[in-house]
Amino acid sequence: MSEVGGEQPDTVRRVADRPVWLGRIAIAVASAYILAYPLLSDDAYYQNMYVLSLVFAIAASGLNIITGLAGYVSLGQGAFVGLGGYTVGVLATRFDSISPWWWVPVAAVVTGVVALVLGFVSLRTRGPSFVIITVAFLFLVQVIAINWTSLTNGTAGLSLPPPTWSVDIINWPFYYILCAILALQQLLMWWIQRTKLGMGLVAIREDETKAATIGINLPVEKILAFTASTVFVGAAGAVYGYYLTFIDPRGMFSILLSVQIVLSLLVGGKGTLWGPVIGAFLIEWLNEVANNNLGGGNTRLLIFGGLLVGLVLFLPNGILPQLERFLVRRRTKGKAGLVGARVEPGGDFPVAHDRPAGPPTPADTPLLEVRGVERRFGGICALDGASLTVPDGSITGLIGPNGSGKTTLFNVVDDTLRAQAGEIWLAGERIDRLPSWQRAHRGLGRTFQITRLFREMTVLQNVVAPQRSFSWSQLARIAVSGPEARRAEELLDFVGMGDFRNQRAADLSYGQQKLLELAQVLMLEPRLILLDEPAGGINPVLIERMADMIRELNSHGTSFLIVEHNMPFVLGLCDPVHVLARGRCISSGTAKEVQADSSVVDAYLGEDFSLESESSRGA
Amino acid sequence: MEQLVQNLLLGLLLGGVYALVASGLTLIFGVMRVINIAHGAFLILAGFVSYTAWTWLGIDPLLGILLTTPLIFAFGWLVYRLVVAPIRTAPMASTVLLTFGLALVLEAVMGFVWGNNSTSIRPSYVDESFTIGELFLPKSQVYGGLLAIVVLGGLYVLLTRTWIGRAIRAAASNPTGAELVGIRISAVAALVFAIGIATAGAGGAIAAVLYPFVPGSHYLWIARVLAIVVLGGMGSMGGAVLGAVMFGVAETMTSAYVSPAWATAVPYAIMFAVLLARPQGLLGSRLREDVVAT
Repeated sequence: MSEVGGEQPDTVRRVADRPVWLGRIAIAVASAYILAYPLLSDDAYYQNMYVLSLVFAIAASGLNIITGLAGYVSLGQGAFVGLGGYTVGVLATRFDSISPWWWVPVAAVVTGVVALVLGFVSLRTRGPSFVIITVAFLFLVQVIAINWTSLTNGTAGLSLPPPTWSVDIINWPFYYILCAILALQQLLMWWIQRTKLGMGLVAIREDETKAATIGINLPVEKILAFTASTVFVGAAGAVYGYYLTFIDPRGMFSILLSVQIVLSLLVGGKGTLWGPVIGAFLIEWLNEVANNNLGGGNTRLLIFGGLLVGLVLFLPNGILPQLERFLVRRRTKGKAGLVGARVEPGGDFPVAHDRPAGPPTPADTPLLEVRGVERRFGGICALDGASLTVPDGSITGLIGPNGSGKTTLFNVVDDTLRAQAGEIWLAGERIDRLPSWQRAHRGLGRTFQITRLFREMTVLQNVVAPQRSFSWSQLARIAVSGPEARRAEELLDFVGMGDFRNQRAADLSYGQQKLLELAQVLMLEPRLILLDEPAGGINPVLIERMADMIRELNSHGTSFLIVEHNMPFVLGLCDPVHVLARGRCISSGTAKEVQADSSVVDAYLGEDFSLESESSRGA
Repeated sequence: MEQLVQNLLLGLLLGGVYALVASGLTLIFGVMRVINIAHGAFLILAGFVSYTAWTWLGIDPLLGILLTTPLIFAFGWLVYRLVVAPIRTAPMASTVLLTFGLALVLEAVMGFVWGNNSTSIRPSYVDESFTIGELFLPKSQVYGGLLAIVVLGGLYVLLTRTWIGRAIRAAASNPTGAELVGIRISAVAALVFAIGIATAGAGGAIAAVLYPFVPGSHYLWIARVLAIVVLGGMGSMGGAVLGAVMFGVAETMTSAYVSPAWATAVPYAIMFAVLLARPQGLLGSRLREDVVAT
């Protein structure tokens, strides 16, 4: 065991470093070639092809932010290229004494503002509306460009003033400015990937409901990502428009632009830094071949459509991730995974020193108070006026037969579901109108009955992902760094998962996932933690450990509300205990009192059940 | 005043056609969580099939939906089995891109087979109108709209009054539960996809009489139908019908009182305005998730 442990890091590092370096060298060589190309060759065909490739690379890399990181597909990305082109076209034809280059940053701003507004319309809900609205948007701007003739000159298009520099280097300014914009775009993507914002976006992609419960402000992060994914695209579109010196609605707002951008992203690999750029060069090359050698038109359409279908079916991850997966498989072949290792016994609870004081709960006010909450699913009334309280500093139990509404109550308290009636108060503040993340910021943490982790993230990233409060500056902070990363490591050590910090969460066993989810919630510094069956499906030793951790956390001031079917666990830990049946709280008190309550026995076993006869049969 | 009533009636008839097409799209989404971007392409395909049946065999395009709809239904079933079924449970992003690719392939194939020039179907009654007092209602629009409403009614009966309809609704509300009580989800999904495509087929045969079309017209249709579905609320059948009627009336009114050029734009503007106030659409509920079901 120790042999393997001593040898492994070294070999792993040596082998693992090589592909990374190979990749970096390849990128550097390719970049140098692209940068030097106009100097080395004046082949107009290839220069044109590379200019278009650069435009598509910027657009695809931009799309990568909203689609690759946040998981929201946009089919209207081409519209932002067109919007940039039209910004420079409209302005340059009106102010002919000013160089069109000045309008490039203006185009970036215009595009960003339009994306902000569009994001506000489409990203406040989750799910499928977004992609549809991007399609509608593409058609709307095209119709506007065709019909608002006083601004755009309609289908006749706009002719920009021709470039004023020497014909020998005619493409150079376009070429190098596009290179500069691509560099900025790549820098932006690289930076976002490392920030809290980037981590929040990946969390949204992996599990949006869960992301909200750990304090991630969904609309703000999604709208920011969408805006960020268009700004440089607008600038590139402006350069592209000036390069063409003629723009019209059919060319600038063609859906095929969007198709090519989406294909570039898919081929290269969603969520990777360089994938979209590589994809853009490949697809533009294919585009030129299809147009010049295969007749274009319907053939090109067939190739693009077929490629899209084929990619989704056979290469859904794209080239780069597939390559990486292949290398990892070769590297780890024949080695045992770490997840089989024992979970450490765990340490003492590391008290956070920078713990936010929070407003003190007024005396005599329970930490959590649920009043008359109702929630129906169609005809079924899952919660029918349920009321209960959690005293500050307590470990409160919530038991009840299956289907009595326990998990629904949790969902309503943390806004995974919205209550249809009733009030919820946390520490004297009414929270039932607040979204999940704001409840999390006020000190509410929650684990799920069936664990919900961000499967593609590492264990450490999972713990760092929660956002304790919302601030704009925090979004820009590097995600895994500083006191927060140290705190996350401490919490992992506390639950005994420190050794697993670099494992993918999806690879963990169920019990390990339960521990990880607890560490994740602790990162929020919650005042109240809702635990949904913490002892369900894990081994007896771990159950013991779970109870110890809950007691220890409680001694440091954290309150708990626990749903659990393991009665010895509940009765040994919880005071008071509430009993839920048919969506109402039917009994409350100490464990002993509740056990003695005949209505509780009825609820669990039915009114005609006789306790005596059953126990005598057992004896 | 007569002008207004006339435009309102025409808008409602157009809305009927939109409602038929949109109901298929929202049905596929509701049951399978698949946004079928190829819906418009199937619609145009039905138009071309109807065109061929009319020119070669002399079949009236509106009566011809008895022929075109089953054909498109079968084609939809085949397409589902071949390409959609393998990724039925994949994330929505995958199915959106897949059906988008499918739309491009269909557009290209239609371009090869029927050419990219404007095609129109002009049966004898296309230039005739019903005259009721001061009202002039073109016969093709009246026939087309009424036919669409009849087919839509048939779909409603199928979904609410038959065993198949119950199975479909069960599968939509709880796939796992439906599977447990003996409904084969994969078979229901194929059926739903094919029925959804068939509504596009019937709608396409009707639309082909109303407007000239090219293979690329499918973009216009899919953008419109998607907007209708979002406006009404994703997955809500009633919402789709309501959204469709609003679109039909808004387009007709804009065309009559502003300019035909803006007719396609105004409904989108309405959609954006509605979503600003109600992000979930008119009759949509916020997507809810059952924690246990995942």
